[in-house]
Amino acid sequence: MKKFISVLLLSVLILTLTGCEASTKKEISFADAGWDSIKFHNAVAGTIINELYGHTWTEISGSTTVVHEGLIKGEIDIHMEVWTDNIATYDDDLKNDRLKELGVNFDDNYQGIYVPRYVIEGDAERGIEASAPDLKTVWDLKKYPEIFPDDDNKDMGRIYGGIPGWEIDRILENKFYFNNLDENFIYFRPGSDAALSAAITSAYEKGQPIAAYYWEPTWLLGKYDMVLLEDNPFNPDTYQNGETELPAVRVTVGMSNDFAKDNQELIDFLSKYRTSSALTSEALAYMQDTGSDYVEAAKWFMSEHPELLDQWLNTKDAKKIKDSLNK
Amino acid sequence: MSAGWIYNFPFEININLKAIDDAVRAFSVKYEAFFKVITKSLGGLVNSINFVLNKIPWFVLILLVFIVIWRTSNKISKGIIFSSLLFLVGVAGLWNLMNETLSIIIASVVISLLFGFPIGILISTSNRLNKAVRPILDTMQTMPVFVYLIPALLFFGLGKPPAVIATTIYAIVPIIRLTNHGIRQINAEVVEASLAFGSTKLQSLIKVQIPQALPTIMTGVNQTLMMAMAMVVTTSMIGATGLGMEVLIGVNRIEIGRGLVSGSAVVIMAVILDRATQGLVQRSEVKTDGQ
Repeated sequence: MKKFISVLLLSVLILTLTGCEASTKKEISFADAGWDSIKFHNAVAGTIINELYGHTWTEISGSTTVVHEGLIKGEIDIHMEVWTDNIATYDDDLKNDRLKELGVNFDDNYQGIYVPRYVIEGDAERGIEASAPDLKTVWDLKKYPEIFPDDDNKDMGRIYGGIPGWEIDRILENKFYFNNLDENFIYFRPGSDAALSAAITSAYEKGQPIAAYYWEPTWLLGKYDMVLLEDNPFNPDTYQNGETELPAVRVTVGMSNDFAKDNQELIDFLSKYRTSSALTSEALAYMQDTGSDYVEAAKWFMSEHPELLDQWLNTKDAKKIKDSLNK
Repeated sequence: MSAGWIYNFPFEININLKAIDDAVRAFSVKYEAFFKVITKSLGGLVNSINFVLNKIPWFVLILLVFIVIWRTSNKISKGIIFSSLLFLVGVAGLWNLMNETLSIIIASVVISLLFGFPIGILISTSNRLNKAVRPILDTMQTMPVFVYLIPALLFFGLGKPPAVIATTIYAIVPIIRLTNHGIRQINAEVVEASLAFGSTKLQSLIKVQIPQALPTIMTGVNQTLMMAMAMVVTTSMIGATGLGMEVLIGVNRIEIGRGLVSGSAVVIMAVILDRATQGLVQRSEVKTDGQ
């Protein structure tokens, strides 16, 4: 028994020592709020930082609110996709200097109710007839409850709404009532991001109609041909009530105050970091099609778009990254 | 770096994950009609249970809980406490949501018992079968729920039908295990005696072994019910409405009050169902001891 204990203690000691050795290198923690595009941007930024400065990187997962808190507390160093509209306290936090906003990652994203294109136009190749040829706007849905049937309630249609807890869920529910869709439709909460994308994937693969909330940039909208239903022109005062189309969200890059103190070179790089919704969707669709992981996709993306590296980095560093990609 | 193989696995096989994805998707498309039938019938089952529950006047249900708890615990005070807790759920405006959740639970538990009880008896008769089934049961209980929940969505869509399936997969295990265990732990002499007196194997099973094992089996029923309750919030992540969805919304929006109130309602439901079925366990114990 004594021998066993001493062996145990010894192994614990060795493990702790080796652990200490490993932690002398700097490890940057990125926020992983749970969706694909943020992980992709983490991989792009992480790969560049690793190549230029030798820091390793890791991700800390949590919900939007949790990783935002983590950034403020300094447990997370860099947040590549702060969806500013989805965080109620964001403006306040920025005003009180609780975090650093470095720049805008992208602000050309769309979100709203999507239907597959074959629902409106049909798809001769797959032998699908257009089931709702006159569907253009959100309120047109009212004419087609039988096209989007709800499993639980006969005679009612189903609209897949926002993920419970996201700000958008509230707005979409308002939109649902504003357009009087409650007369012959059910507002269905999918429960989670994974469930929502599974529902859309499943319907699309089977060629069935579906009307669901989704947003860009995502692999899903990069891969599947979906149409965003039109709505009234955007009005900042009334969109919260669901009366108009949804605004593009400013998605920024954030850094914690602690980390910003002595990492000027990373601030310089990330302040210039800018992509677009279309670029991100492209990379995510590549990932989905080839089954590559985020780092592979990041490397593919940078070699496809070397012009971005020139925008983000100085000539010397950009060349260094390009050389490493060609290796 | 030369000793890298000590810390890093020397070789890795690239599993073709994409092929698995494609196979599952193709399967879901090919057998769509079949899955549709299952989905429809599960949805129908849950909806009809919900319909019946909604037709029961609230005071009747509260009275029923009072009587059941009183009879099973032999204490009037307990009956009053639990029925007033149920009253609180109604006061909090969660009555219909509770019925919705309850209908998913009842459907899953009924299906679990329907399949689990015979399977439990079957594996109690054969050591080989028991050994073969055990790892499957372990997998069902430990496989992270979302791993099979998302494929289930491809087959069964979102909402209550996949919720019932996921709950059943998780909750069927205790009834199988405890039925098996209950029958196995009976004294061999008792079974032998029954056979010696000329009963057939089936008679021995129905008239001697199952009654003897009843307390353990009832514990299994109780555990199955509790497992089903544990899935309430998880299944709301695939769109099952009811109390679980309230909890999910409350938690995701950090509306602590909303989460706490609906979470408490789940607890009250669980406690009442637990006490009522535990009462059954105790009564079945008294019976077998008395005989």
